[in-house]
Amino acid sequence: MNFRNILAEIEKTDPEVYERLSGRRDVLRSFGSKVAAAALPIAVGSMFKKAYGKTTSAVGDALNFALKLEYLEFNYYHVANNTGGLIPGSDQPGFQTIEAHELSHINFLTNALTTMGVTPYTPKNYNAASNIPAYIPSGAYDFTKGGTYHVFEDYKTFLIVAQTFEDTGVRAYQGQMPAFFGSANSTVLQQALEISCVEARHAAHIRYVRRLSGAAAEYPAPWITNNIPPIVALQANYLGEDNVGQEGITITSLPGASGTIPQASATAAFDEPLDAPTVLALVTPFFIL
Amino acid sequence: MESGYDVSRRRFFQLAGGIAGAGILFSACKKTSGPTDVYIGSGDTALLNYMYILQQVEAAFYTQAVVTNYYGISQSELQLLTDVRDQEIAHREFFKALLGSDAVMPIDIAFSSVTFADRTSVLTNAAQLEDLVVTGLIGAAPLLTNTDYTREFNKMVTVEARHSAYFKDVYAYNTFSTGVGSNAMDHSNSPSAVLAIAQQNYILTKFDSRKLPN
Repeated sequence: MNFRNILAEIEKTDPEVYERLSGRRDVLRSFGSKVAAAALPIAVGSMFKKAYGKTTSAVGDALNFALKLEYLEFNYYHVANNTGGLIPGSDQPGFQTIEAHELSHINFLTNALTTMGVTPYTPKNYNAASNIPAYIPSGAYDFTKGGTYHVFEDYKTFLIVAQTFEDTGVRAYQGQMPAFFGSANSTVLQQALEISCVEARHAAHIRYVRRLSGAAAEYPAPWITNNIPPIVALQANYLGEDNVGQEGITITSLPGASGTIPQASATAAFDEPLDAPTVLALVTPFFIL
Repeated sequence: MESGYDVSRRRFFQLAGGIAGAGILFSACKKTSGPTDVYIGSGDTALLNYMYILQQVEAAFYTQAVVTNYYGISQSELQLLTDVRDQEIAHREFFKALLGSDAVMPIDIAFSSVTFADRTSVLTNAAQLEDLVVTGLIGAAPLLTNTDYTREFNKMVTVEARHSAYFKDVYAYNTFSTGVGSNAMDHSNSPSAVLAIAQQNYILTKFDSRKLPN
């Protein structure tokens, strides 16, 4: 979206927009040269928040929450990719790609938050001077969830938890999107959607890996069917995914290829958001507090 | 798979080849008549109609792909292809219901560059179509005034990304994210740009989209 157009549009309904920005026109003019191009829109969003007397806290909190989950995921894949004998050779390229993606997301979100003037989240025991700062060797995560899941010893278990992290990550991003609603944050919304789609690709891939590797009991599709979890113990991560009502329209009542839309496809066609407290409750057992 | 089935399928594709080469025309759909382009509305209505148009394209693609499923398709692939078809029909019918009397009429669609009998053609075109709709949904979501609609676009776009990842993985394992940007982020594109691409590749109907937000 063109930045000047945004100002012009706002001026139509709020002629005092420039005054609200309180002499920031010069700032606006010189903005592009001062901040990284990728982070510019987020910085602009934060400026509008200030102009209208709101703080950046809602946007910052949402991005920091996403960052916390990205760190969790990155560390999970980093450990797995460096555990000999865990991931079969044919599957390794995919998980190396996913690990690299999570690191990119960490870097992007960290830069965006810094540019906004918000302190980026860092995990417990974070050490900026280490070789890979995003990797926390010890003390931050317990991916076994207190010894429940032998994720780095058993590949099937690793996949089950990976799928759950990714599906939950997609839902968590969706739960944060309302913090980015409104024209002032339209670019943040766009970027958050761009990231969440890559998380969805990860989820689809891991589900496909499981399908190929003979997870016969549920024979997973690359998308979430009803509220079916990979194992019963992870049911809570999938609650609400069986929703068939969208905007007051019951999807299973709509005409399908023959008859009405099947329930499995009606639920798979929409990923469902999870709010931050729900996600925190689900992932906290994987953190060492 | 019994051989008799294969033979009959091969015969079918020989017969259908001419049709596929010329592009499959959905003749049941009402043709646009006269010089007047189909008006898609303004504001949120235009954005919903725009997405309704794209979902019609996707649903038509998979409807055809299931009916004349590609040679050598596995049971798993046919099952998931059918599931994707039904999800896209769900999206299409959702937009139709949401738009009510503002919905554009069913449109004329042709897949002249797709050979539905050929696995590679179907899988690569499916991924390409899914990627187009992903960029379209991301680009359109922030333009909506009614944030209830934004939320629905958000719910759908990650599912379209799942579809894209799947078709890429089936075609070439581990390529689920081929084409995403340098920050490991999917791409976004404006409604007018996406509609133009869809128009060029898949749609015969002409639209008046001058009031489509961008």
